[in-house]
Amino acid sequence: MKSSIPLWQRSSVRIVGALVLLIIMGGAVGGIYYTQIPPEQPIPFPHNFHIGVGAQCSYCHTGAATGPNAGLPTTDKCWGCHQQIEPRNDNLKLVASYGAEGKQIPWVPVAIQPDFVVFSHQPHINAELTCETCHGDLTQMTVAEPQKGQNMGWCLDCHQKMSTPEEFVLLSDCATCHY
Amino acid sequence: MTEKISRRDFLKISGIGLTSATVITGCGPSSRYVTRQAYANMPEYNQTGVSTYYATTCKECPAGCGLIVRTQEGRAIKVEGNPEHPVNKGKVCSRGLTTVQGVYNPDRITGPQKRTRGSRTTTAMEWQGAINTVAEELKNPQKTAFLLGLQSDHLYDLVREITEKGGFGKPVRYGTLGTLEGRSTLLRATQELYGFDQIPFFDMGNADVVFSFGAHFLETWLSPLAYSRGFRQLRKQPFGKRGYIVSFEARQSLSSANADEWIPIKPGSEGQVALAIGKIAATKAGVPAPAIFAEVNLNEVSQISGISMEKLLQLGELFGSDNKAIALPGGSALTTRNGLDAAKAILALNVLVENMSQPGGVFPTFGENHTSDFAAVKALIAKMNAGEVDTLFIHGTNPVFELPASAGFQAALKKVKTVISFSTFEDETAIESDYVFPDHAALESFGYQRVLLGSDRETYSSIQPVVAPIHDTRATADVLLAAILATGGNLASDIQYTDEVDYLQKTITPLIEKAGSYSAGELPTFWSKWLQFGGWWKTTSELNSSEIEINLNQKLSFSAPQSAKVGETFHLVTFPTQMGDGSGANRPWLQETPDPMTTVTWNSWIEIHPKTAELLGIHDDDIVEVKSSTSDFSVEAIVYLYPAIRPDTVAIPFGQGHTALGRFAEGRGCNPAIVWSASVNQAGDLALSDTTVTIKPTGKRRPLARQESKEGVYGEH
Amino acid sequence: MTELLAKEAHDEKWGMVIDLDICSGCQACVTACSMENNIPFVGEDEMAYGRGMQWMRIRRYWEGEYPEVTPDYQPMLCQQCGSAPCEPVCPVFATLHSEVEKINLQVYNRCIGTRYCANNCPYHARTFNWFDYEIPAPMNSYLNPDVTVRRRGVMEKCTFCVQRIVKGRQQASAEGREIEDGDITPACAQACPTDAITFGNLSDPESRVSKMVRSDRAYKELENLGTEPRVTYLKGGKSYGG
Repeated sequence: MKSSIPLWQRSSVRIVGALVLLIIMGGAVGGIYYTQIPPEQPIPFPHNFHIGVGAQCSYCHTGAATGPNAGLPTTDKCWGCHQQIEPRNDNLKLVASYGAEGKQIPWVPVAIQPDFVVFSHQPHINAELTCETCHGDLTQMTVAEPQKGQNMGWCLDCHQKMSTPEEFVLLSDCATCHY
Repeated sequence: MTEKISRRDFLKISGIGLTSATVITGCGPSSRYVTRQAYANMPEYNQTGVSTYYATTCKECPAGCGLIVRTQEGRAIKVEGNPEHPVNKGKVCSRGLTTVQGVYNPDRITGPQKRTRGSRTTTAMEWQGAINTVAEELKNPQKTAFLLGLQSDHLYDLVREITEKGGFGKPVRYGTLGTLEGRSTLLRATQELYGFDQIPFFDMGNADVVFSFGAHFLETWLSPLAYSRGFRQLRKQPFGKRGYIVSFEARQSLSSANADEWIPIKPGSEGQVALAIGKIAATKAGVPAPAIFAEVNLNEVSQISGISMEKLLQLGELFGSDNKAIALPGGSALTTRNGLDAAKAILALNVLVENMSQPGGVFPTFGENHTSDFAAVKALIAKMNAGEVDTLFIHGTNPVFELPASAGFQAALKKVKTVISFSTFEDETAIESDYVFPDHAALESFGYQRVLLGSDRETYSSIQPVVAPIHDTRATADVLLAAILATGGNLASDIQYTDEVDYLQKTITPLIEKAGSYSAGELPTFWSKWLQFGGWWKTTSELNSSEIEINLNQKLSFSAPQSAKVGETFHLVTFPTQMGDGSGANRPWLQETPDPMTTVTWNSWIEIHPKTAELLGIHDDDIVEVKSSTSDFSVEAIVYLYPAIRPDTVAIPFGQGHTALGRFAEGRGCNPAIVWSASVNQAGDLALSDTTVTIKPTGKRRPLARQESKEGVYGEH
Repeated sequence: MTELLAKEAHDEKWGMVIDLDICSGCQACVTACSMENNIPFVGEDEMAYGRGMQWMRIRRYWEGEYPEVTPDYQPMLCQQCGSAPCEPVCPVFATLHSEVEKINLQVYNRCIGTRYCANNCPYHARTFNWFDYEIPAPMNSYLNPDVTVRRRGVMEKCTFCVQRIVKGRQQASAEGREIEDGDITPACAQACPTDAITFGNLSDPESRVSKMVRSDRAYKELENLGTEPRVTYLKGGKSYGG
């Protein structure tokens, strides 16, 4: 017998449709979630501790004042201090092993921009911005965490607040960041 | 959870979800999971995100232009010209610009390999094994031959030293760019007429009237960027003066297209035309015509060249007027049976107008030129055929592709017991080899190029690696030196270099004493400046005005130029394009950059005059069979109706038609070298402009990808 | 008034002058542009369909009949119109006029690929990414990190090498000075073997381009459309002075 129920009213179709929708939404939520949590690092580097003992940001992230990227430290830099420090726990042992083998620690960068955004640290440092303005209060973090809500509106908001209307013409120009 | 799902895997699983996430957050997921190199993992002097620039020398053609290569995080990004370099003064051509596509080409040979000849089956080797193989082959100097290309002079110099000290035969040095411009012929003519041992520098920038006999000065002739600069200078003289260019050739090239007058003369008649111009110019200037010009019959010249008497007189008077005139001997005039006499006739024009060593005239250059003529290649082929060559080393040239098929190189190669190629790519010759021990790519290697042409001063251009080699390749100089060390004996004690860099340093040491653009007390400082500045050159222009005694009281004898039978056979003009000697065909951006005259991309074509095509019943995009009149060789080519070519002439660009050389080059267009006549001219150069061909439609059609039309090729490719 | 003029001289209004008398049509600028700006190569078939991605092309027109036949060359690129026909038709403001550089920008992340702009461009200066064109590894190593790699469905065009303009401006400001004439050179002008292309600031009356624009050989392409192009051609060759 020919069914008279339209296709979209059939319960099987509806269940399958709902499932597909759920999977898509689940995937979307998962995808968003995973872009908002700190990525797993080879060593859970305690920023708070290092700042506590007096290390300056630019001691390890040397490039910020002179170029587009702040850069990640080499193992040599870690080893400069850590060869004096007893490897008391697993993480310190890990540092020691990288240092002894002369291998680079495969740090995962956290604060990065999408491909179509061109960002340079140098002009921001020249404008006397501090690191925590964008990267958050690292004294409260172990591993670096991605900052929430850092979208284009956030960039422009700051550009507007920090500049005169004439300067804002330059700072809101598309070609400042997109090319 | 027993098995941890990595973030990456999770993302793969939820691919669809991710797409929505991408839409919502507006950013691609790939950005987030980049691995960033710690700067200690990168070459020295690198900071993340900041470019480092290195000076080196272009190896795409023998001109030796200075380059500044932008590198970032150990990758070569962009090739730019070296503004201080006396050859190119900061400019680069299409070929130089795509050097990075040669370095990062996916079809490079990644390590030493043993091959089965004629097939693509390879067995990977270790470098120690490779060096042992070379060492074994070097033990028999009498039966070992070297065939080298025109690029990187340091390797040629080293091999020459090895062959001299080790009792080998003289290395043969051959390249198509040299052949197409008749380089050996020009050198011989200069020696015999001017009495100096170098190809001269033609100062066209300071001339008023330039008569170019087929010189492709804007494309590949001698030193294209230096002569392009000369072209600019000619057009932009002080007080708004604008130089006048007259170009004589059968097919309008880019250089002729930029000339003020293009005279489509019959191929092979350039020499007689030069004599006629000399005779008329002498009359105009009111001086007795020297013997070299005196006996020419103007009516006869007008007849064989196809230039009307009126035009001939007008041009001759232009050349002989008060202007500073210069005549350039180009390839199409020299690569004919009368090539040497044609070269002399053209060079004699410069003597007639007394521009020798004068601004806007002809100057001797620096250093000796080492290019073998085609006769030397023929001799090598004969030796190979006679079984006198057991081992052939091939570097920097692709003879299977570049030599005329009728020369029989491929057949002769089969008689050689061991063929060792140092090619970076699996080219036609590498496929016919037993071993390939790949050299570094251009931007990964050390070396130097002696600048012989296009520089107004003595110049050595340094080649240094701007990036670390990306594959398991090794510098050929290093392989040879290591092999010599392994061989031991007299050769090892005669050749006292530990490696390539040691050789370079010892070779440039004498330059420290010479006054150049920088001074250094000792070698390490000199070496670092040598690398930093991209070479060594004199501070000021050195075009000296030495007195040269030139005797024009000699007679030239021209045999009748090769003639084509009307409507049956056609003169074949082969012209160079941005593909250079054919090695550029695997650079996708050279393929996609349109040809300046036809705007055709990714293919080659045969240029036929529309009227000729009409007579033969041929249309645009038809495929025709082009068969040599003197041999059985033929190629198939796609027709391009070209309005600026003599109706009795057809033209095919050189560089395409590869059967190997990687995915971007293979199976595109046709190789005109196959149908070239293998006869030589008086100077031993290939008389390729004497080639005549027959054209036969095949009934097939394949539209060319032209930028000028967007008709499309739906369903036709 | 003098203050206003002085301020204007500091303003950026980038322009280009192409001298057709010495442009030889050699295509080095085309290759240079493609290598600098991460332009994908599309292959023979796509080229034949007219989908080549070159931001710059040399227009070649045959003039005359054999034997007096000769080609005329004209490099054609985005004219960075002051009153650009592409801008008002974009529904998402992906192509718009920059307030700083006074050039037309193409914002790739905004572009939704309607291709209205390309259809409205009288110079055919825009190209469209019909596909994601593959650059096989390791050839992607040479990609310029300063320029976005565009994806499928995005319109693109000549940017006057805006990445070099921004870099030059940042460098000048880091050194505490103004941008000088000649500081910034786009890839095409840098490569041009005959130096036929000159680039500079049109609002500075003393810059090389401003002087050349005042030449009696100067003309602008399709000026009568009111597009106010920023690219000026100097008549050349056989039409010299004509």
